[in-house]
Amino acid sequence: MVKASAIIDISLSFMRSVWYESKEKCVLCGGEDGAVCPACFHEYFQPELARCQACGKLIPKDFTHCRDCREHRGPQALTRVLAWGHYSGHWREFIHRFKYQAQPTLIEKIARPLAEWAEAQLPPPDGLVAVPMHDSRLAERGFNQAEVIASALHWELGIPLLSGLKRVLPTRSQAALTRQERLHNLSGGFEVIEGKEISGRVIWLIDDVTTTGATLEACAQALHLAEVKEIYGLCLAAGKEA
Amino acid sequence: MLFYLMHTPAGEFKLSPFPELDKLFQESEQTGMPPFRILIPGIPLAYLEPIFARVSARIGTRAGLETEGFILKIIAKEDALQKFDWKWQNLEQQDLEQMRGNENLSLERSAGDDLADSLSGRQLTDDELSVLAAGIGLNADMLWRQAHILVRAGLGEWVPAVRRGSKGWYCERCGESELEEWPGLYGTSFTCPSCRSLGASSSMKVIYRDLRASAGKFRKIRIGRVGVEQFSSLFPGLRLTAAQEQAAREVLEFARSARERESLLWAACGAGKTEVCFPAAEWALAQGQAVLFAAPRQDVVHDVAPRLQQAFPDISIPVLSGASTAKFGSGQLVLATTHQVLRFYRAFDLIFLDELDAFPYRGSRMLQWGINQALRPGGKILFLSATPDSAIRQRLGKAGRIIRLPARHHRRPLPVPQWIKITEARVESALRENLAALRRRGPVIFFVPKISWVKLWTERLKGLFSSWSISGSYSSDPERQEKLIRLRQGGFDLFVATTILERGVTVEGVQVAVMAADHPVFDERTLVQMAGRAGRTRAHPEGEVVFFAARATKAMKTAVDWIHEQNELARSAGLLD
Repeated sequence: MVKASAIIDISLSFMRSVWYESKEKCVLCGGEDGAVCPACFHEYFQPELARCQACGKLIPKDFTHCRDCREHRGPQALTRVLAWGHYSGHWREFIHRFKYQAQPTLIEKIARPLAEWAEAQLPPPDGLVAVPMHDSRLAERGFNQAEVIASALHWELGIPLLSGLKRVLPTRSQAALTRQERLHNLSGGFEVIEGKEISGRVIWLIDDVTTTGATLEACAQALHLAEVKEIYGLCLAAGKEA
Repeated sequence: MLFYLMHTPAGEFKLSPFPELDKLFQESEQTGMPPFRILIPGIPLAYLEPIFARVSARIGTRAGLETEGFILKIIAKEDALQKFDWKWQNLEQQDLEQMRGNENLSLERSAGDDLADSLSGRQLTDDELSVLAAGIGLNADMLWRQAHILVRAGLGEWVPAVRRGSKGWYCERCGESELEEWPGLYGTSFTCPSCRSLGASSSMKVIYRDLRASAGKFRKIRIGRVGVEQFSSLFPGLRLTAAQEQAAREVLEFARSARERESLLWAACGAGKTEVCFPAAEWALAQGQAVLFAAPRQDVVHDVAPRLQQAFPDISIPVLSGASTAKFGSGQLVLATTHQVLRFYRAFDLIFLDELDAFPYRGSRMLQWGINQALRPGGKILFLSATPDSAIRQRLGKAGRIIRLPARHHRRPLPVPQWIKITEARVESALRENLAALRRRGPVIFFVPKISWVKLWTERLKGLFSSWSISGSYSSDPERQEKLIRLRQGGFDLFVATTILERGVTVEGVQVAVMAADHPVFDERTLVQMAGRAGRTRAHPEGEVVFFAARATKAMKTAVDWIHEQNELARSAGLLD
């Protein structure tokens, strides 16, 4: 008697779980229409907007560069920088969960559309280089989010991961600094330790978020010293210029 | 937070996140001893602990330096740890001076005591400690160090948030063993998916677990003669009915019993089971015990909060829920959602666990784990339910007592649901007729089985009843709080809702309609709870309940049987007029 009711309990809860979980939920808003729902796609990835060629941020359609970069205050050492989405709302929360809440596997949920978009926007590279993280921060977090993104693109597109770029000075966290301080804070923070994998190559330089482009610029300068042929920056998110 | 293996001058091997702090204490105790040594680099506790466990059994049999070498050998065999540059080094004087130069590091007891108090009875991750520190205007490092001072004194412990046990990895906060795996710096890493809403628990994180509450007792709060007889005078404005008094006396007996550990208060919906627990809570507080009221849902917690505060006006009662800003409060009497209970460790002598069978508690191993961790050894739990499942009824029926509270305070029977058969062809005519009849008696709550139906039915019913004020809500609706306030004030003719409203919410004169009562998500307990919204108040003791369904399911029949049984029990006990 007890057993029969227990079995009924289990089958009912199974039925309920199927009922509720059968639809794929949007990884950004939790709504019910696909992995990234149309509303979030429109809100955060804004395909109708252009991207600043120099720093990657979202800008109005008719421009090639944002105001800062038109006045040469952006990165100079990269051929192009591209940010996928606008760093705001649910997209920002997603990146925070991915990065700060120990959920690197979240990248799997968006790897396919990210790869498709990047492939359509940028010329094919010889390899992927992730922006390195300083050892002490890596030790606490256990993973480098830029490496996780690069690794997802590697799996999706079959592009090799290249090593050699290292962070050599511990830099202060960028978040609390002004624009000018950010640019200074990072200069000289990177070095190519072993350059044979990357010299003469076209690479995509991968990071999670870019704001001023200072991190990408510092990496690119170090990569050019190792005679990399061409560098394209690729990030999950950036700011938007109204 | 990273941990280091230390080799102290006394020849002991220990783990610490702040070896320089340990050295500082050691310095003041002993001088002229061998050097204080640490193994670098530091790594998360979850990965250092198993190494330490493997060597600690053999440490006593070797000389200190030989043991250091032995530990290096063990580490060299771990694939994921080989890549680090492991070495033993002396913890130098300059490290110490750097520490002493740090004005933020106050080791004076007076400064530490307030800090330490905020940790009493809690278990918090390093991230949560940071948030707590920010809330009281401190830097996180200082609170972490304070926690470590407590650990040194044996009043607390550090445990990996996700830990490797004999049966594999599991979450120390919620007990989950089905974890998300990912390749990390230290090998396979784990993140707990179950208690994520409280912030990350992973194998990178550490939990500070306070052990003081499980040892000491709180001061006695209110001394006086306590018993049900004095209840009315102790709590002016609250009067117990005969049914409540009888149940309250039994609950008090349970609390005072030396033998009983668990009991069930089985109450009719709307019978006032929370108040029935107040005399026992009062008694326990007077004994210096710590008391927790826990409920699975925020709605219920916020509903109970003012009643509890009114009953215990002299006590500051932290109300801990996802929606409240104070998540880290502590005290002798605490009101919390069952999720927040995961942040306590052996902190309570008496736990009143409301709506034990409600989502998300029912069947949730996580929250059961949490309640058991929050209970002191030898503590007691009283489960409160209107719809206890068969497992707990049988368990407590045999081993403990089941306290019954079958009647509402107005001494009228519970409304018995009526089944209205609907077919696709005559849904609208059935609704038009029956909902209009319900509305003449009072505002109508229209329950639907799925979130996606809320909007659909709100629109459809607006079409049917164009002059009515109609709205709807579901659990993640951002405007839910405002809508619920308006609903309580009678601001709607009809309100479409999912089961979020099924428990604990009282609306004056409300009538209940359940759409698709034969839907598989509606089990007998949910149906009883939804029916229980009607006829709760003295002014409107006789609400009506209608089940719209194409067929009568077993759940529907069982729900009606249960309600009949409660009414019979109440009638035979003379609790109905």
